[in-house]
Amino acid sequence: MRDHITGAVQFVSNNHLKFDRPAQPIEALPDPAETFGHVNKIQAQPSAKEVLAKLDTPEIKARCADLLSRYPVGQGALLEVLWLVQGVFGWVPTEGIRWAANVCGCAPAHALGVATFYTMYNHAPKGKFLLQFCRNISCTIKGAPSLIAYVEQALNIKTGETTPDGLFTILQVECLGSCGNGPMMLVNDDFATDAEGDNLTMKPGTTLTKESIDRILKWCYAHENNMPKHDVLGGMVKGHGGHPGAPGATAKPQVADYAPPSPVLNVKAEADETGATLTWKGAPEFTKIVVEKKSGNDWVAVGEPGVKDKAFVDAAGKVGDEYRMIATSGERVAKPSNVAVTTQKPAPVEEKKV
Amino acid sequence: MSNFYNMPKLPTESSPKVEIFVDDKAVMVPGDTNLLEALKAVGIETPHVCYHPYLPVSGNCRQCLVEQEGPRGRMLVISCYTPVTPGMKIYTPASSARVKNARKATQEFMLVNHPLDCPICDKAGECTLQENYMECGQNESRLRPEYGKNYHGNPAHQFVDAKGQVRGGKHVDIGPRILLDEERCVQCDRCVRFMRSIAGSEQLQLAGRADHTYITTFPGEKLDHEYDLCVTDVCPTGAMTAKYFRFQKRVWLLSHTPTVSMDDSLGANIWLDHADGRIYRVMPRCNPEVNRSWLSNTSRLAFQEFDKNRLPSMDIESYTFSEGKVALVAGGSCTMEDLAAMKLLKETLGDRAELFGGTLLKVNAPDGIAKSGDPCANRAGMKLMGFADVADLVKRASEFKTLVTVNADLFGEDPATAKPLEQINSIIALSAFDNATAKKATIALGVKHWSEVQGTMVNSLNMVQKLNACPVCPDGKLWAAYEILSDMAGKKFASAADAFKKATEYVPAFAGLSYDTIKSTGKLLEGGNA
Amino acid sequence: MAETVKVCTQNFGKGAQDIEVYKKLGGYANISERLFNMSQFELIDYVQRSNLRGRGGAGFPTGMKWSFVPRGTGKPVYIVVNADEGEGGTFKDHFLMMEDPHRLIEGLIIAAWALGSRAAYIYCRGEFLPCIESLNKALNQAYAAGYLGENIMGTKFCFDIFVHRGAGAYICGEETALINSLEGQKGQPRLKPPFPAVSGAWKSPTCVNNVETIMSLPWILQHDPSEYAKMGTPRAGGTKVFCISGDVKNPGVYEAPLGTPMMTMINDYAGGVVGGKLKAVLPGGSSCAPLTAEEAAVATMDYECLASMKTMFGSGAMIIINDTHNMVDLLNCLGNFYSHESCGQCTPCREGTGLLHRILNQIVAGNGHDGDVELMQSLCGGFGGVTICPLSISLGGPVGSYSAKFRADFDEYIAKNPDHAKPRIQETSRPGIFW
Repeated sequence: MRDHITGAVQFVSNNHLKFDRPAQPIEALPDPAETFGHVNKIQAQPSAKEVLAKLDTPEIKARCADLLSRYPVGQGALLEVLWLVQGVFGWVPTEGIRWAANVCGCAPAHALGVATFYTMYNHAPKGKFLLQFCRNISCTIKGAPSLIAYVEQALNIKTGETTPDGLFTILQVECLGSCGNGPMMLVNDDFATDAEGDNLTMKPGTTLTKESIDRILKWCYAHENNMPKHDVLGGMVKGHGGHPGAPGATAKPQVADYAPPSPVLNVKAEADETGATLTWKGAPEFTKIVVEKKSGNDWVAVGEPGVKDKAFVDAAGKVGDEYRMIATSGERVAKPSNVAVTTQKPAPVEEKKV
Repeated sequence: MSNFYNMPKLPTESSPKVEIFVDDKAVMVPGDTNLLEALKAVGIETPHVCYHPYLPVSGNCRQCLVEQEGPRGRMLVISCYTPVTPGMKIYTPASSARVKNARKATQEFMLVNHPLDCPICDKAGECTLQENYMECGQNESRLRPEYGKNYHGNPAHQFVDAKGQVRGGKHVDIGPRILLDEERCVQCDRCVRFMRSIAGSEQLQLAGRADHTYITTFPGEKLDHEYDLCVTDVCPTGAMTAKYFRFQKRVWLLSHTPTVSMDDSLGANIWLDHADGRIYRVMPRCNPEVNRSWLSNTSRLAFQEFDKNRLPSMDIESYTFSEGKVALVAGGSCTMEDLAAMKLLKETLGDRAELFGGTLLKVNAPDGIAKSGDPCANRAGMKLMGFADVADLVKRASEFKTLVTVNADLFGEDPATAKPLEQINSIIALSAFDNATAKKATIALGVKHWSEVQGTMVNSLNMVQKLNACPVCPDGKLWAAYEILSDMAGKKFASAADAFKKATEYVPAFAGLSYDTIKSTGKLLEGGNA
Repeated sequence: MAETVKVCTQNFGKGAQDIEVYKKLGGYANISERLFNMSQFELIDYVQRSNLRGRGGAGFPTGMKWSFVPRGTGKPVYIVVNADEGEGGTFKDHFLMMEDPHRLIEGLIIAAWALGSRAAYIYCRGEFLPCIESLNKALNQAYAAGYLGENIMGTKFCFDIFVHRGAGAYICGEETALINSLEGQKGQPRLKPPFPAVSGAWKSPTCVNNVETIMSLPWILQHDPSEYAKMGTPRAGGTKVFCISGDVKNPGVYEAPLGTPMMTMINDYAGGVVGGKLKAVLPGGSSCAPLTAEEAAVATMDYECLASMKTMFGSGAMIIINDTHNMVDLLNCLGNFYSHESCGQCTPCREGTGLLHRILNQIVAGNGHDGDVELMQSLCGGFGGVTICPLSISLGGPVGSYSAKFRADFDEYIAKNPDHAKPRIQETSRPGIFW
């Protein structure tokens, strides 16, 4: 079958029919979305100037310096810097992504890929109260779909939409990690199953109900102008020295000898007719191991097994002899291992045949 | 995806051979490479989409699955990321139904959200997906139309078509030379890896995730790079298409001539894809030593001028050089055969003739991809032949009475520097194009362009590479420059092979070489000084 | 039920977020001469003897994981705490970090001593901002008290902890995806080998541990390792923090020894099934195969028993389902989740999870057909062992097991479509059209 097709193609390509035309430059045709209509609303983006004006504050600069000092490569701070942008605007405008990329020293296209990969970065402004409802399995079992329908009806918007007054946006999200309280929700950054006085609460054993949703919405209306404000990165930590080598970091690399050198562990000695056989557990960094045997009150070196060896035989060993091992790692000599008293090697157990 | 993917190790002629078992048969394969390349070396083709021998391995298409015998039984592994180890046991679809089904399943998933518009797709005929489909595809669809398709596309470009289906962006103007069809993208990540790892400018990125992933540049920016047309080569589907070739010709109607690009001294290996007596496109031809599989836009798009502004042929019975010194100047695109003919002519003329070669254009630094930056392509060959630099000629212009240029547009390249040459009263220009030098010349002879001649060149890596003639010469009467020059000298070369034989007499480094023994990937010279 | 030893949850509800309270409750007692006199090798051996297995889901022995980290390479060693819990039914890390952040810090200092780390990152999922606030507050206190920073308690040991806020990607719970995310890239799993223990974050040796694993360390170090090993099963020591959610009276976080019978967990700890009779239990998070009521009656909560029942222990997240639910609805829920959370790297997962979700949507919407279930099972066959990470199998597994164990639920939905027996139109066989 395929030979036949190949043959046909060769036949066509070898004939000299002139069904071609002179080279014609292809102009880009109009965007079909312009003809048929866009599926999604195109978000108007603020200009670079506006974005930079808002981001060029001493506080943001200090935060960026703190973040960059934490990672050996600037790109590591990308997610956190994008959070800072979202903290300022409530969403990440395109120019904000470019700014974040410049701060972290990576390509803007890379930052775009990152900003669109993670779902918590908003690419369009959201309402003042972002209501995120968990729709995952545990919450669904406990009736999340009907509660979401209730909120949609109460606010007269669908999931993903914002109320005309710009107060609420409803989102359905995947597991919020509070299944024990399911169904539950996030109001901006606060977990909530209820509202009490000035606070949103999620007490153990409580779940979201229609009544508690009403209370939460009431709380939202009451706090329209005095929303509890969270730092997008949960506040700054003072006192850290950053990552060694990062810009602005004062930290020095870990010294190799902060911990005592490793001793030989789990030394056991068993004697049979060939002498005493020592087994032990050694660390990979050992450079030398010395086996010592107790003779009177002194320890006498009896051998030096290789660092990769699994066992050592002291031909003169017998039951009751005491052994210990001393390991050296590089220049450092470790404390002696436990003292192993030689025991009689048990007779090999014959394997039962099945 | 991750920045830390490594380049695949490719087998070379000196790779150690190790024994592995493929479908329980012992075979000897190169030992320092990945399984996909090793199987290829013994003639077993493995379908793949994301793997490219000159791009970092990302292993995301999952098409190149084979079964490997391991400590936990036979496991499916991707052959592009599995290193060859001696004695490993591999099972291909030839013996393993599991591999066959796994490849079929992956192929089915690959096409779930891919538009089935091959008849109107420009990639049809050379599309990796089509090849894989024929090789291992699920030929009969099992899905119902109710399930729908979820075409990949930028949310800003999505539209609803006449049937009510949400579609991704079509012919998106992603850059000055490339159009993007978002739906056809299969997220293989090749173009992203090319731009990041090879071109060194991360302009493309896969945005979004899951089956909403789409390929895009940064909003408001265009894909614009000297090598950006390479993304159309690496694209396994019709997502990235070159504007200049889009809808010009069905690819199965093209014939291919393997040759060497003569606008740069690296001598990038290329295919001239032609039909109906003209070149339709230029594609990089893989040569691991020279340009791998990359080609700069300059070299690629140069063909558009090859058939324009050409000098007509001229019948000259004989020509006698007047008294005084003669300067023979070879341009950058002269082949070794042209140089041999010039040297022959010099021998005929005796001491009064001198040989020069080179260009007045600026020489740039190599870019490490597919350009050495030196516009004089055969500079190494000129050195081997003992040609002096053209700058000497400019300094000593007053000594000469006659100037013969062979494809050397000295006046066009740098009119200010070439000014002293104007005092030479007799200029004979052998040129493919009607350029500034041809216009100044007393006699302007049309010759064949380098794309239309047989020949050889020595590139900046000191490799002899072979040019093949593409049957696109606009004028059947045109001769190659070496034919005219050797005719002037009185001993016309019968063929390029004949001319090369003469060249081997002049160049000690060519000892033992003959035109026919030079392979398509060239031959590295040993004794050269380039 | 017997009063069990509390390893991780002993400070719950005691206000241990404050360092003074935590110290009064016995906290930071490990950061003393006893630890400072231990060599790295001794400490790793200590943890190995405690038989502690990773609590994130895979259950890999922690001490062995640590012993894989090469020492003396000149590269820094990183500890990354995986606090990206996002699997349906799992919520222990959320409460562990909220209630007892200092225990995590103390555990990290111990782990850092064992591995020689200079810096640790707590990768906390973006939704857990209250946890991050709680951790940062605790870190500030720990720095002020000298437990972190340069030359801790007068030793040569220096150690810093940073909290990294993720931004919403379930797949970042996979350790290589988490490392990519930490490096400021998309959270897509990496090809292995190299494994993170050898070449992880910034190409340095990296140890990724779950929150609960790290928080078990202070208790283990205070006691003899055999005491911890004794509490569990022979192959996995200690207690486990179980998350019980779904149709039970008292859903929540409960600490119990490994090997506790499943019905004890449901009836004694969580107060029993409500709203109907027990229909199914997901013993280890949303991606595991469900156990029917009969199977649940004999199951015990440990790695081996559940593996023998062809499901998995995972992170110990039990989801209890009563008989008022149709399993197809829940499977559709999972389809929604996994198709949304696929990272988009491997073809089968990227396109396949979405396709399965669309088929499930059709079934739930009453447009199901005969053969849809077989098609889904066949499609899931294409997931097996072919992708970089197991996310596709996390959906493929449930599709297979739900349809095998609860086939009647599927048939009930498909029967709602009056045309359910209509065969698929073979459009491809129309003459003249072959694409």
